[in-house]
Amino acid sequence: MPLLAPATLLVVIMLLGPLALLARFSLNRFDPTQIMVSAMTPANYARFFTDPFYRDVLVTTVRVSAVVTAACLLFGLPMAWRLARSTSRFKSVWLTLIILPLFIGAVTRTSGWMILFARGGMLDIVLTRLFHARPVDLMFTEDAVIAGIVSINLPFTVLALQSVFEGIDPRLEEAAASMGAAPSRAFSRVVLPLALPGVLIAAVLCFILCMNAFATPLLLGGPRFHMMAPLIYWEFTNNNNWPFAAALAFILMATTLALSGLANLLIPRRYRMRRGG
Amino acid sequence: MSEAASLVLDQVSRRFGDHAAVAGMSLTILPGELVVLLGPSGCGKTTTLRMIAGFLQPTEGDIRLDGRSILPLPAHRREMGIVFQSYALFPHLSVARNVAFGLEMRRMPKPDIAAQTSAMLRLVKLQDLTERLPRELSGGQQQRVALARALAIHPRLLLLDEPLSNLDAGLRAEMAREIRLLQRDRGITTVMVTHDQAEAMALADRLVVMRDGRVQQSGRQEDLYERPANPFVASFIGGSNVLSGRLDVDRLVLAGGAAIALAGRYAAGDRRAARLPESEAEAGAARLRVHHQSAGRDAGLVGQERTACVIRRGPRRGRRCRCLLPPRSWL
Repeated sequence: MPLLAPATLLVVIMLLGPLALLARFSLNRFDPTQIMVSAMTPANYARFFTDPFYRDVLVTTVRVSAVVTAACLLFGLPMAWRLARSTSRFKSVWLTLIILPLFIGAVTRTSGWMILFARGGMLDIVLTRLFHARPVDLMFTEDAVIAGIVSINLPFTVLALQSVFEGIDPRLEEAAASMGAAPSRAFSRVVLPLALPGVLIAAVLCFILCMNAFATPLLLGGPRFHMMAPLIYWEFTNNNNWPFAAALAFILMATTLALSGLANLLIPRRYRMRRGG
Repeated sequence: MSEAASLVLDQVSRRFGDHAAVAGMSLTILPGELVVLLGPSGCGKTTTLRMIAGFLQPTEGDIRLDGRSILPLPAHRREMGIVFQSYALFPHLSVARNVAFGLEMRRMPKPDIAAQTSAMLRLVKLQDLTERLPRELSGGQQQRVALARALAIHPRLLLLDEPLSNLDAGLRAEMAREIRLLQRDRGITTVMVTHDQAEAMALADRLVVMRDGRVQQSGRQEDLYERPANPFVASFIGGSNVLSGRLDVDRLVLAGGAAIALAGRYAAGDRRAARLPESEAEAGAARLRVHHQSAGRDAGLVGQERTACVIRRGPRRGRRCRCLLPPRSWL
């Protein structure tokens, strides 16, 4: 592995270096004229945890991420299972269709959601004209943000889950069927327990992507909806408060890591070990 | 225990695109019979088994269990015990939970499940390993769990897919015996698939030799030995010895001077010398290259050298063999 050393070096310089710098920034003091004054103060962190506005932003971010992750698993698990068990020659076509949304940039896609959700948008027209429903305006709601992020994260989740299911011997499902298990029970009693460690990884991936979502909450959430990533951007560029932005970034990262680690505890102990031959 | 079931395959075909994996297969299996589908890989035997199990639908034909078509039933309602080649034990469940799985699916009361499970595990002599996980077992033990699991649900049919191919040679004979005893004891109608003729010989009540999706011949061991329908059956069933010799009316004279008496319609005075092999070592078959030099009954053979005979070694190995000339159609 001759390339391992330079690769490690590159990671240290490009990732850990800025991270260390950011950690240092987060302890500095903000000054409106000088932007940043060197200091060693926990004031930025204290400000976050004492101001209910910022706490709410974090709570919203975690809540949206949890809902999105749950939705992605709900839709993604059956899709991934069917895909993994498909012997159709169109399997690669289905796969491409699932990946296809990833070819469109987040901003373009979000614009599409805006056209769909806005008052006078497609959803509004269909519901009011065809079903005489009351006018709908989903723009700038949490639901719109959730729908938007699910649409981005679902392909990632399906791909991750599909490889998990591909790794499980389909004979096990046949064995379960031969013993009287309908497909849904074979899935819940045999496939899912075996897939659980992999499902967890897919869920964590989805969760992390959502915790750090930027464009979707910004565009679909509107000016009064806040999640962490846009907030950090806002503090950094508009308020020029680098120390506080750095502290926010660290809080977001710590929360994400902590919750991802906790997820491991959701798996019953006996399923945690890897399957062996 | 439920009565043993009869199975009928009626002109069953299965096509994958243009390729017919199974073509117009008909077969009747009597209650309690153990039938072995034998053939090289790709002959359609596994496809047939999967259609019986309900994992594949036939493109044509009907499959009937006790006279009723099972094609409308999904796999999980066919009540068949299956032993897979890879055993397909649930890796996250203990031995006992693996065996109990089918009973739990039937929503049997818990105490009954426990009783039935331990009875099955005693039957396959695994009562001391109930809490082990499959990966903590040897191949032979895994095989026993698979068998116990398949039998626990009192299946209407037992399906065995290459059940011995993952075992080493010593264990194979032992497991074959145990499978046979269990199957006889419980009187359960059984279909087994294998490419190993020795395995098939040891276990079967009846053999069905398949090739290219078609049944070549169906019959008892001695029928296939002594009246093979075509060269393929003869070579597939036997094929362990190729001897050259001279054919002399009712005997074959080998190069060294040894003579082999011929059985069947070619043997004078012994029209049916069929006999079941007494041990596995004895049950060997051979192809024979015949150098017919006498002006015998088969004048058409004079001077020709062909693959012509299927023989079986007699009690005194290597000296006197019983052999049979196959029908002239393929000489």
